[in-house]
Amino acid sequence: MLGSLVNGIILGSIITLGAIGVTLVADILNFFNFAHGAIFTLGAYFTYLYLNLLPETGTMFSLSFGPGMILAIGLSMISTSVVVVVFDKIIFRTLRRRNASSLFLGLTSLGLVFVMKAGISMIWGPQVHYYGPIQSAINFPLGIKVKPDEFFIVAASLILVLVSYLFLKYTRLGKAMRATSDNVTLARASGVETEKIVTWTWVMSASLAAMGGSLYGIEVQLRPTMGWSFLIPMFVAVIVGGVGSFGGALLGGMIIGISEELVTSLLQDMFLSLNMNVIMSAYKPAIAFVMVIIILLVRPHGIFGKKGA
Amino acid sequence: MISYISSYLVMASIYGIMALGLNFQWGFSGLMNFGIGASYMLGAYTAALLSAAPTPEHLGGFGVPFPVDLIGAALIPAFIAFLIGFPALRLKGGPFAIATLAIHETIYLIVHNEMWLTNGVWGIRDITRPLYANIPQRYDTFFLVIAGGFLIFFYFFFKKLVRTPWGRVVRGVKGDEDMALMSGKHAWSYKMQSFVLGSAVAGVAGGLYVHYTGFVSPTTFTPLMATFIVWLMVMVGGSGNNKGVLVGAFLVWGVWTGSEFLTDFFPPFMETRAGFMRMFLMGIILLIVILIRPQGIFGKERILPRYLRSIRENYTPSTQEGGKTNNR
Repeated sequence: MLGSLVNGIILGSIITLGAIGVTLVADILNFFNFAHGAIFTLGAYFTYLYLNLLPETGTMFSLSFGPGMILAIGLSMISTSVVVVVFDKIIFRTLRRRNASSLFLGLTSLGLVFVMKAGISMIWGPQVHYYGPIQSAINFPLGIKVKPDEFFIVAASLILVLVSYLFLKYTRLGKAMRATSDNVTLARASGVETEKIVTWTWVMSASLAAMGGSLYGIEVQLRPTMGWSFLIPMFVAVIVGGVGSFGGALLGGMIIGISEELVTSLLQDMFLSLNMNVIMSAYKPAIAFVMVIIILLVRPHGIFGKKGA
Repeated sequence: MISYISSYLVMASIYGIMALGLNFQWGFSGLMNFGIGASYMLGAYTAALLSAAPTPEHLGGFGVPFPVDLIGAALIPAFIAFLIGFPALRLKGGPFAIATLAIHETIYLIVHNEMWLTNGVWGIRDITRPLYANIPQRYDTFFLVIAGGFLIFFYFFFKKLVRTPWGRVVRGVKGDEDMALMSGKHAWSYKMQSFVLGSAVAGVAGGLYVHYTGFVSPTTFTPLMATFIVWLMVMVGGSGNNKGVLVGAFLVWGVWTGSEFLTDFFPPFMETRAGFMRMFLMGIILLIVILIRPQGIFGKERILPRYLRSIRENYTPSTQEGGKTNNR
């Protein structure tokens, strides 16, 4: 019970990193980016690439990796941002100039999913990759099992979420981004270069996704489809929290992560006691979907949603 | 060679039926259904379970003969779409798309995991292939008559449907939902009807597919093969244009089957990656179409009342897809 709560927090912090990117793009560029899962995967694979290029750095504290991993994640965040900004310049900028509808932009991003997924599979192959040996968990009281790496995952995502929040709240660029999301015309009239804002939105969204992908890679493994399976939880977190709300993405991500783990284990126990042979863990993605239905029936605009959004 | 071409035409027809259903949802009603593959899958499995021989491995063996089980293959996806429509149609645009995508994933998981129902990854074998015993050599050609017949039927069905008063309201809801509401049309209800209808048509395509191959397993219904490729057909042909969508279906399926030859030239060590090459190609085609010709080959069909056709020449076509910026 408590164990699945802890697992839920770990999963939730990774979902949150992705959800912030989805909500930023949805708010400032006005469309739902289906390629966000693929960006997540790309980030994880870039980290894998740099990890093999960099010299072996041993391990630090009781983690399964050393400072090389942190450097690799940093480089991966930069490389992923570059790739995503290039995609924006080639594809999405053309569509923005054409004043394409948000549905059309969403559809374009679905095309990009298959290009990126196929590209990743062609370069790194369809097989599973690991950053390093999978760590064994430490037993805590009350049946909680935590790997030392998982402390790093939760801490790193919380720090990054906090940094992004402070960035949006206090820096000049962050303020300009929020102004653009509120009212593009007004922001432009006040001298905000909206094209620049769009580029920085992509950079922020892609870096957070790359970080999320790399952290998930540490926790589990790398597969070309890893981001696709995270896409639905990320979107659901955004819908649950309310589109365009930073706090909503954080809360939504945690709600989805925790409920996926908790509900799965509760239902599994229930089915076991009823002697029914249902493997609940296979249905984890479905839980996110049920969650969105419940939330939307109660609060149609999400928890922190703006009314007219 | 002839059987190869026939088999291509049969599959293109089956996908064409699905593309017509999706085109009705997207091109005429503006519903961004990323779960069209779920209806296809439901239709396929309904037809399979209704008509396959009884086994202890999974449900089924109801012995429903061929054309009758297609009714079930249409009704089950329609009913599921109806149930899903209640929460999902509260959402618009991107969130609606993700809800339908989540439905696809959920139904895929059920089909994949529930052995008692669908035999899981092993799939369902020995589904009756109508009249197979009589003409085993020319079977592709024979089935082409069935699949092609359905395709032509649905083409004229949708062609007429969008011109009926009902179809006019559906198009009106896509154009401006508030305006439709102000005219006293229950916009939500029309969206629901269109969602259900498109899903039912995709279900029929699924039913035809299992009777053609005689076998069904979850691997047929990946997001690429069941949903994305259908979207590609609609986008290539031109959304909102039934004729264009038909051409799009045959064209895209031609490229897809043709690219299989291409992968034969790959060195053996690249063989596992050749499949991804084809996936890559499909994605690139969509991006190129969107960048170069966003309205598709044929563009949006302009449906005019009969009395307006005479002044058609004087009317300059409005812009392609888009134009509105803030319809999230």
